[in-house]
Amino acid sequence: MIAGLVGMFLLLGGSAAALAAPADSGVEGKTFVIGTDTTFAPFEFRQNGELTGIDMDLIRAIAEEQGFAVEIRSLGFNAALQALSSDQVDGVIAGMSITDERKAIYDFSEPYFESGIQMAVAKTDDAIKGYEDLKGKTVVAKTGSEGETYAKSIAGQYGFEVTSLDQSATMYESVKAGSAVAVFDDYPVLAYGVAQNNGLKTVTDKVPGGSYGFAVDKGNNSALLAAFNDGLAQLKANGEYDQILNKYLADPTAAVPTTFWELLTESFPALMKGLGNTVLVTAISFAVAMVLGLLAGFMKISHNIVLRGIATTFVNVFRGTPLLLWAFMFYFGVPQLTGQPMSIWVAGVLTLSLNSGAYVAEIVRGGIQSVDPGQLEASRSLGLGYGKSMQKVVVPQAFKMMTPSLINQLIIMLKDSSLLLAIGFTELLYQGQQIYASNFRVTETLLIVGVIYFVAIMALTKLANFADRKFNK
Amino acid sequence: MSEATVASPREAKIAVKGLRKSFGTNEVLKGIDVEIAEGEVVCVIGPSGSGKSTLLRCLNKLEDISAGHVIVDGFDVTDPKVDINEVRRHVGMVFQHFNLFPHMSVAENIMLAPVELKKATKAEAREQALKLLERVGLREKADARPASLSGGQKQRVAIARALAMNPGIMLFDEATSALDPEMVGEVLQVIRDLAAEGMTMVLVTHEMGFAKEIGDRVVFMDAGVVCESGPPAELFGNPQQDRTKEFLSKVL
Repeated sequence: MIAGLVGMFLLLGGSAAALAAPADSGVEGKTFVIGTDTTFAPFEFRQNGELTGIDMDLIRAIAEEQGFAVEIRSLGFNAALQALSSDQVDGVIAGMSITDERKAIYDFSEPYFESGIQMAVAKTDDAIKGYEDLKGKTVVAKTGSEGETYAKSIAGQYGFEVTSLDQSATMYESVKAGSAVAVFDDYPVLAYGVAQNNGLKTVTDKVPGGSYGFAVDKGNNSALLAAFNDGLAQLKANGEYDQILNKYLADPTAAVPTTFWELLTESFPALMKGLGNTVLVTAISFAVAMVLGLLAGFMKISHNIVLRGIATTFVNVFRGTPLLLWAFMFYFGVPQLTGQPMSIWVAGVLTLSLNSGAYVAEIVRGGIQSVDPGQLEASRSLGLGYGKSMQKVVVPQAFKMMTPSLINQLIIMLKDSSLLLAIGFTELLYQGQQIYASNFRVTETLLIVGVIYFVAIMALTKLANFADRKFNK
Repeated sequence: MSEATVASPREAKIAVKGLRKSFGTNEVLKGIDVEIAEGEVVCVIGPSGSGKSTLLRCLNKLEDISAGHVIVDGFDVTDPKVDINEVRRHVGMVFQHFNLFPHMSVAENIMLAPVELKKATKAEAREQALKLLERVGLREKADARPASLSGGQKQRVAIARALAMNPGIMLFDEATSALDPEMVGEVLQVIRDLAAEGMTMVLVTHEMGFAKEIGDRVVFMDAGVVCESGPPAELFGNPQQDRTKEFLSKVL
């Protein structure tokens, strides 16, 4: 025991000595690229556009302590790990549990955080004080999480039901709204939420779970790993480590926007970026949908039975299946079939344009068929061919009749683009979700997002109607 | 006037031989034989559903022909090797409901074919369109939209449009049937002028008085066949067939 303490002291002393002679550490003055998740509050999330959180504060403090520089890349959890394996980043810090499977491919630092599962109830709830008060009640947990596993493991013993939801923010809202009495979630996430005044309180002790570690590719960057361990020990020793943790987990007045106005100004840049992506993906997809729709629309009125069959099948398939299914299919399904990863933009544009193209095809067909057949006859009787007659006489008139339906279709597409959040496309509603995932101001954030959508769509409608009046006199 | 080479003055400008036309199982034309000479004005009369409009529409192949031959200006329109678009440039057509292009100005309606078929530049086509409008008395309407015109004016523009490719033949499909009575006269005057210029014309009409006045020949059709034909004085004055007599007794 004493020997152990002495050993630890020596070890610490040794690293302190290494610090005193920075040339030996092998990291001094270097810049390391560190990969991380996009949003995993309180470990990494954006505040005022800046990446912040326990992981971020920790890695920056360690870097400063050890005299190296870091370049943070917010890649998403899985992408960060892939980047680590392919040496595109030097290390990953992303609230990652140290597991045996991961240890086989990565080298982990000393654990820098002890996670676990905890239960929380509504702040105003005085009835639930422990698991034994849950009898006959419903609790929520996150789909596929350790919290869910734990809740289910004790559900039989205490006689409660477990409902699984996808997001922390949604779970907290359902507890506050009373559709569940308690939530089982990761201790740090829960503690952070409570610290942000999310309307919950914790009533049980943390059930110890995984430990989080900083990872480098196996056999690579051992100097960086050593420096991390060294710096971590220093921060723990000088109290900075506790300060960082308390900043996110204990202090209920941490830098979370308090007024609606603050929330608005702080979330606005991120929401505008989301709106930009929403508008861009809609614009590209609508252009593609118009081409597809015109093609299929003309094929539908063709005399060729094969062309008609192809167009009808296209329309039936994409009108007869949900948009979201195709988003999953293109982003998750097709890459597994082809072995080629698909860009989220390509998947998003394919999803929206194929779905909308089917509706545009019907609008085009209807528009052309609504033009008096006498118009085509008059043009043909002048000696103009079918194609010329369509181009000069029928389509311009059909287009005029189609315009209101096409504007409608464009607006539907702009709204439907929000479904792409399911595959992680950073459009407007997705950005809103990211914001309330870290500050728990669900209702207000959704209200802001709703107003932005409404204003954008009103502006688009006015613009489209103006264009309609100008060009379709 | 005609662009086609005419081998002999006797040669028919339009020859219809054994023409049959069915819509599904319904046979509308049951073997029609008609020859029309260059410069001749033929009026086709008959009860509704007798097939007279269908006959007219077969002459420029707006209807597919089920059997028989239609030879127009030397082209057999039933021959698949014949470019029907080429034939149609020799044959102007005027419709009951005008069928003006509403998204174009009056002048643009007339300019469309010459410009698109590369017969003229835009400037030349406009000059020609103005001349044609002069001819039908509507020069001042060149830049108006069709929607702003009266029925009679629309039909006069439609006639000017049909003349834009300089056709040797004009077809009129009940050109005055959709007009208010006070507007019929102005359209008939334009047709009268064309007849005076020696245009070969086929008119499907319900205007018996006009047919009598303008027609070199009147063809009476009933139930998909040509029942009787002859100079107007004979056909109206001394009809030979019972069906002709019956029809004329109702309309005259």
